[in-house]
Amino acid sequence: MNMNRCARFLRKTIGLLLWVPIWVHAESATLRMAVLDDAPPMSYRDSQGRQTGFSHAIAEAVCEEMRVRCQFQVTTLSQVVDGLVNNRFDVAAMSLLGTPERRSKILFAEPYFRSFSLWFAQPGVPPGHGDVRVAVVDGSAQARYALQRQWRVVPVATNGQLGTVLKSGEAHAALMPMNTAMGLMADPDFQRLKLEPVVMHSPELGGDASFGINPRRSDLKTGVDEALARIKGNGRYDRINSQFLPFRVN
Amino acid sequence: MTRAMALHRLRISHAFALLVASFTVLFVAVAVLLWHDQQQAHVATDRLQQQTLPEIVRNRQVVRNLEKIRQEGDRFFALGSPQESQQALFVLRVVANHPSIREHAQAAALAQEVEHFLAQAHLHAQQNPHGLKPSLLAWHALSQRLSLLVDDVSVHGVKLASTDLERMSQSMQTARTALVVALVLVGAFLLLLTLMLRRFLIIPLQRIDRKLATLRVDQPAPAYPITRLEEIHSIEEATQRLHRSLQELEQARHQLETLAHFDAMTGLYNRHPFLERASIELQRAHRYAHPICVGMADLDHFKAVNDNHGHASGDVALRHFAGLMRDTLRQTDLVCRYGGEEFAFVCPESSLDEARAMAERLCQCFAAQAIELPDGTRLQATVSIGIASMAGHTLDQALSLADEALYQAKRTGRNRVVLAPA
Repeated sequence: MNMNRCARFLRKTIGLLLWVPIWVHAESATLRMAVLDDAPPMSYRDSQGRQTGFSHAIAEAVCEEMRVRCQFQVTTLSQVVDGLVNNRFDVAAMSLLGTPERRSKILFAEPYFRSFSLWFAQPGVPPGHGDVRVAVVDGSAQARYALQRQWRVVPVATNGQLGTVLKSGEAHAALMPMNTAMGLMADPDFQRLKLEPVVMHSPELGGDASFGINPRRSDLKTGVDEALARIKGNGRYDRINSQFLPFRVN
Repeated sequence: MTRAMALHRLRISHAFALLVASFTVLFVAVAVLLWHDQQQAHVATDRLQQQTLPEIVRNRQVVRNLEKIRQEGDRFFALGSPQESQQALFVLRVVANHPSIREHAQAAALAQEVEHFLAQAHLHAQQNPHGLKPSLLAWHALSQRLSLLVDDVSVHGVKLASTDLERMSQSMQTARTALVVALVLVGAFLLLLTLMLRRFLIIPLQRIDRKLATLRVDQPAPAYPITRLEEIHSIEEATQRLHRSLQELEQARHQLETLAHFDAMTGLYNRHPFLERASIELQRAHRYAHPICVGMADLDHFKAVNDNHGHASGDVALRHFAGLMRDTLRQTDLVCRYGGEEFAFVCPESSLDEARAMAERLCQCFAAQAIELPDGTRLQATVSIGIASMAGHTLDQALSLADEALYQAKRTGRNRVVLAPA
């Protein structure tokens, strides 16, 4: 009887050990994707609380093309670069402009769309005028631009909070990317502020926007780039574009 | 003539080399042309993939965004709320300033014009009680220009693709022509080579093969028509040399056979071939029960001839007796020099009496004729002969009987014929 027990124990142990490599492989094939959840229409939560948006859908498509499981982790723009550097994330699935500071710390995938920035203020108030308090997203290229020019900035954590500080009067103006502006302009309360948009053509505020990549995972860049090229070629990118944005942004 | 033929053969060899060299040069030229066309097709394909297709994609985005600008313009002039018009104006402004539009010179200029027009229309509408209606006609004109530009940009993409495809098609057509030329060249070369090989190599080789198959010593040497290939000519000469060698070998073989079968001094059979032929004659006689006799002859006092006149004189005596035997006996009789001064002979179809008659005639003739010796003297010699019938005996037995009779002739006085007892 003792022999039978030993045999059963050995069989179970061997069975469990056989599952270990599969479990380890599954863990190693999981990508930690950093996403925003308050930056409509790029990355936000729908009425059921599910994460969605242009960048989010592109990230999901990339994961499918790379045949890897992706774990989406919500973060803010001010924390995402450090999160990549400190190995908390593998990929930042959000539109990052390639500022020199970012390029010195993290890797960038090939661009997935092109953007520019808009200045919102009362009519006749030019960008950076006088004592105007300017709302910017903390950690963004727009915040960097405003701080370099010593504007009075009101930093907010998320793109969605830009409208809040403008509507509350905490800020008089805002410098934001075009897609955030599109989302805000759909808000009737924001429209009632009657802020006038001015297109900012400075190269520091526009151009190619890309996913960020963990500098320790340089092997991911090729896979992400190829996946992006495939979804651009097979039409999936255009479908996502039409689903979330009113015009072609690539 | 030979020199002219040699020069002609040289030219044929050169013709082969020239043919191969010409074909090689032509084929390399066509291959280079093919490679060039392939390269052109590759360049056109590469341009299509790397430049034209991305350009078409960009144009498609421009078209889509121009359409969006036109839609937002229509929405701006639709009888909607002021907020809706403001929203439409904003979206139009964003699209008009997007890099995809700004990179396209015509689209950027028209988009800026539309943006400026709608901003002015919005401003006038706020001051004018008729609202946007005065600007509507101008908007229709702008909207039509947007539609035309959309068509132009769409067609431009198609033209780009068509141009590249036309280039590819031309390259492929040229490559196809070059390929056909190459195939025709290869075919022509192979045909020409086959004909030349057949005419100058295969047919002469077949002729040589036939000549070799019928090559015989007793036939004339193989003769060939004028050959145009040096190597074939060498083989033909070799067959002729082979024929000459065969003739020489046959001659040598014949000489060796003569030496082996006949006595060099007398020209009569040696002992061994004589015994072979005698055995055959004996078997035939036994088979048909025909008479046959054997005789043994020995020159009398031959040692004295050698001693007194020298061996050369002895040889003359032997040759003389041999000639006498040939003249006296029948052509069907077998005669040999049995050894030294001893001779043997077989007389087929002869009874003992007939054989004795021939032997006695031989004996008498030899005794009657004087032999002229080298020293000028004349020799009178005699011969003793023993005859035996071979019927009912083996060859050895018959020879022994004849030999016994010979000794009997010697003992009883020489110069006579003695018959062995039957």
